[in-house]
Amino acid sequence: MIKIETKAFIQAKFGEYYEKNAISIQPPSSMEKREFGFLLLKERIMLRHKSFKTTEELRDSLKRLVPSNVYYSSAYYERPEEKMEEKGWLGADLTFDIDADHIPTPCAKTHDTWTCTSCKTTGDGTPPEKCPTCNEQKFEKKAWTCEVCLESAKEETMKLIDILTKDFGLSTKEMSLGFSGHRGYHLHVESKEIATLDSISRKEIVDYIVGIGLEPKLHGLRSMSGPNLDDFGWKGRIARGTYKYLLNASPEQLEKIGLPKGAIQSLSEHKERILESWKIKGPWAMVKGVSIESWDKIVEQAVEKQAAKIDTVVTTDIHRLIRLTNTLHGKTGLKKTKTPIATIEEFDPLKSAVAFPHGTATILVSEAPKFRVGNDFHGPYRNEKVELPMAAALFLLCKGAAKIMEEDSDVR
Amino acid sequence: MKIANNFKWKLRPIQPQPKLLNYDFALDFTDYIRNAAIIQGKKWKLTNKSLAKGEVFLTKVEVCRLLEEEVRRYIEQKLQVKVKSLSPSITNRINRLKQLFYEKRGKTSWEEIPSEVIIVAYPPCIKRLHETISSGHHISHIGRFTLTTFLINIGMSTENVVDLFRSLADFNERMTRYQVEHLAGLKGSRIKYIPPKCDTLRTHGVCPGLDDICRRVRHPLAYYRKKLRTLKTEAPVASGA
Repeated sequence: MIKIETKAFIQAKFGEYYEKNAISIQPPSSMEKREFGFLLLKERIMLRHKSFKTTEELRDSLKRLVPSNVYYSSAYYERPEEKMEEKGWLGADLTFDIDADHIPTPCAKTHDTWTCTSCKTTGDGTPPEKCPTCNEQKFEKKAWTCEVCLESAKEETMKLIDILTKDFGLSTKEMSLGFSGHRGYHLHVESKEIATLDSISRKEIVDYIVGIGLEPKLHGLRSMSGPNLDDFGWKGRIARGTYKYLLNASPEQLEKIGLPKGAIQSLSEHKERILESWKIKGPWAMVKGVSIESWDKIVEQAVEKQAAKIDTVVTTDIHRLIRLTNTLHGKTGLKKTKTPIATIEEFDPLKSAVAFPHGTATILVSEAPKFRVGNDFHGPYRNEKVELPMAAALFLLCKGAAKIMEEDSDVR
Repeated sequence: MKIANNFKWKLRPIQPQPKLLNYDFALDFTDYIRNAAIIQGKKWKLTNKSLAKGEVFLTKVEVCRLLEEEVRRYIEQKLQVKVKSLSPSITNRINRLKQLFYEKRGKTSWEEIPSEVIIVAYPPCIKRLHETISSGHHISHIGRFTLTTFLINIGMSTENVVDLFRSLADFNERMTRYQVEHLAGLKGSRIKYIPPKCDTLRTHGVCPGLDDICRRVRHPLAYYRKKLRTLKTEAPVASGA
């Protein structure tokens, strides 16, 4: 057993990982046309504009540099090693990022903590408008990701795949999906037709997926008629979303979105009949007292639920760097893991992404909520010394929530 | 159809079906957005189109309008002839004209935008970003970019812009200064950046919703100019308080 520094410990473990697993790292297609970037653990600087001709070169670099994060460009370039302006952009994969941080989740992020920067008061969840103790408005946040967060991200990913296949006609064969190793999923589409689309065209794809600029009127919503459940594209999504919304909405929720009393009463009283009416032509014509404005408000809610909450910046960026599969995430010590699209529902990210399945380490945890890495739950901890399986220990160390005490040398 | 084929469009005529009553054609979505993305109007947004299995359903008139756009781009591309070298006398004249143009342009923009920053003329998006950051709350990367480029372009000094970010928990003076100066065209690529247009801000969730002036402009800087003009007519002696 040896006393070691946390940073050096992480570096050594990451080094071990790449030494052993570099062989499992596959380069992206057309590797020689891509830019690679490495965030260096020790120096904390980004090495960019790298390119590789062979898989071996790439793997050797990983072993030698031991980066905390490894990225490659979604773009293809004539000269990937040049400065941005001189690279010669040839095209780019269509990429999507779904991050639990960007979506409201049912757990309400109760596992996150905040600290007031001036009086050091702390609390759980998202920080308040003002510090309850000193009224200041500046906070330091510590974000965690729980299973509920990751489940929400998965649901959004499934919605995205549904839109891409049904509406955009893309095949899942052209897609590759991966768990990022932290808070969400990355989806890549490699297709010749799409590769040369510019940022403006990609923005149209984003707006479609998020439902931005959607006009219910242009999808046939009138005061007496509207789209049907089995329509394709946004028409059907509007109808299905509205059906689901009406099925679950309470009178209070309807009031919250600004419906007048009459409309709420009418919708609540005839709920059964309305839901039944979808079998014929939908409720659009039959509910008295629900004006076109009210329908617009309901449809707005429906659209919000039907849209997939992607990170809009990532998809419109045609020079984006993306994490390479089977490399480590510097903030968690988990690896980016390929996720099979057909069986995504059964996919367990926190189990599949474990990169250090063996050994244990003793660490001093400053603060951590209850969390899971692999099969087992750990925590919550506060200022305690604990012995944890290596993957869980590294998770806390990478998160900056713990210090290394000792590594059990006998199980290496 | 022939013209569309020339441009290798994936376009097919469709037979009237109960669900596709009003449409004449189905067009591959990539061909559609390449041409429709720059046409103004809500009805051209892909979000408002019928899209199934990668095809957008369109009327004959719509297909013609999209073809116009394709032809326009084709012609414009043809016009972009690369001239290898010109005689020095011509290059000199061009440079002289360029210089004159920039001088004149510099002047007009100065006349239009006053040297002091008029906060009441901010568009709603900038107002919200400004308030959020002033209270020390985090704003997205694109939000920071929008706010910074907006303020630089209406004449705020880089010093004052840097100060705005000072209240953030993760403030790093050296980094912020470099980035602000970079966006102001004082560092790196020497390009002075401008904020994204309204449409882009909507996509990225920066637009908080429109007010009356918003409906008449497509860019936050255009909003600022327009609002300044209305302020001037309302109160001719208003000073930059």
